[in-house]
Amino acid sequence: MSGDAGPRPAATVEHTVDELMVCVIASCLRDGDQVMNGIASFIPVCAIELARRTHAPDLVWIAGGSGVAPDRPRLTGSTFEWPLWQHSVMYVDIAHDLWDWVADEDLLGTFCVGAAQIDAYGNANNSVIGSFDRPKVRLPGTAGLADMSALDKRIIYWVTDHSPRTLVERVDFRSGIGYLDGGGERARLGIGGGPVLVVTNLAVFDFEPGTERMRLLSVHPGVSVDQVLAATGFLPVLPNQIETTAAPTREQVELLRTVIDPDGYRRRGVRQPAP
Amino acid sequence: MIEKLASAQEAARLVRDGDVVGLQAGTTQCTPISMVAELLRSGVTDLHVVLLSGSVALDWLITLERVRRVSFAAVSMEHFGMCRRFRAAVEDGSIEVEELSETAMLARLGAAARGLPFLPTNGMIGTDLLTVRNPALKVIPDPFGGRPVVACAALRPDVALVHAHRADRFGNVAMDPGPRYPMSTLLPRAARRVIVTVERIVDTDELRAAPERTILPGFAVDAVVEAPHGAHPTSLFPVYDYDAAFIQSWVEAAGDAQSARQFVDEHVLRHESHEAYLSQLGATRLEALALGSGR
Repeated sequence: MSGDAGPRPAATVEHTVDELMVCVIASCLRDGDQVMNGIASFIPVCAIELARRTHAPDLVWIAGGSGVAPDRPRLTGSTFEWPLWQHSVMYVDIAHDLWDWVADEDLLGTFCVGAAQIDAYGNANNSVIGSFDRPKVRLPGTAGLADMSALDKRIIYWVTDHSPRTLVERVDFRSGIGYLDGGGERARLGIGGGPVLVVTNLAVFDFEPGTERMRLLSVHPGVSVDQVLAATGFLPVLPNQIETTAAPTREQVELLRTVIDPDGYRRRGVRQPAP
Repeated sequence: MIEKLASAQEAARLVRDGDVVGLQAGTTQCTPISMVAELLRSGVTDLHVVLLSGSVALDWLITLERVRRVSFAAVSMEHFGMCRRFRAAVEDGSIEVEELSETAMLARLGAAARGLPFLPTNGMIGTDLLTVRNPALKVIPDPFGGRPVVACAALRPDVALVHAHRADRFGNVAMDPGPRYPMSTLLPRAARRVIVTVERIVDTDELRAAPERTILPGFAVDAVVEAPHGAHPTSLFPVYDYDAAFIQSWVEAAGDAQSARQFVDEHVLRHESHEAYLSQLGATRLEALALGSGR
């Protein structure tokens, strides 16, 4: 089965930017793949559940890294705790199951990653701002990012607060790698995969083949290219044609609002673009 | 079988100044809080804490200045935010840190568990975790001709702290079905001494009735301590939920050193035992956290 979400109707439906982000990420998740989510990850969790309920019924979700293929996942303040995964077909042994599945080149092809800083070549920082030994800001730490980013996997970044502080020319610390300094450096280390998309509250980026520098793919409805550039801490590659991000369908928005996330956890931390 | 049942005070004597202490801790899950509270009361200090992620327990130890060094993959209370005392202590240079990827932490503990000098991982290549002069990590060639890997030196905690559902008095420990966390399965095999707190001490016959739930045999455990609600305010699936109001009140207190200290004094040190800690919380509050018929 293809991972294509199918053609979208031309008629736009009223939506918020968190819903737009969820739908963009959902469309990247492939049917037949497996995907897990991290802590405090409402946008990816909604995207995974939306994908499962629309174009990717055979996408297997390892919810919170803890439960396989959960039925009736319930969103609460945590995307790691039991309400998400209690009705699973299997509880996971993290030391013996999860990391072996991740290591398998045929499994878990895509990871959704959030980070405090992401740079122009798709490297990510969740460790420190400033120096490692005496940081200006100590962040939570790399967790599994340093592992999965160094494997042949597709990375989709999600950014809820697109600003010159979150999207930077060079991260203070590489907790996870993208394309390193670009120009094929990742491939020269023998590592396949890498970041494919950066979905923010203002725009969507991909990475220019060759240079491997972040490239502005589309701006969200109502957001200008200038607004995006002012909010970005580096000059991304600007193609001749910059699209407007495709709006969600009515079905997607209704599923999100009535079934998947009626309490609106997906809005947490997402800065709505200024009108 | 040898008696392993101990009081919390007796078990705490297995933890000595300067020890490397492995701590089962999730962001809001399954942390042996009652044992950490006993360590806070015991005064043991200069600890090197080893954990995968979390948690409020680490922050309490840091609040009372009992921690010299932390090895971790993440330190977070998820939606309750960063562990603020940990953050402040790293930023002002009062504790050392070793940050590892998850597979590197599993490799370091796994090597210790298997009596090997190191285990390799293919994580972390290209990251700055390899540029900060961590003497426990070395990129080495694959002797069989593949890509280089990262050798992760064995890390052998002096003592492991784990919380589980039940055990008999001989230290055979069982957990109900749920996700298995590496720090409740791998950590005890890596550590020299193992302290397990459990919700209930039961007859050995109860373990024999469901031996597939036993995660640790008594010969691998040094002390087992009965501690109902021993993970509070973190959760223990499928028995009780985390105590959101309690964690939130900690988060608010943790903003500065003095109010953090006050919180730990009032909620932990003031009580001479776990039983006193529980009675201050009250039965109604604890019952409200029960998952009960939720599954």
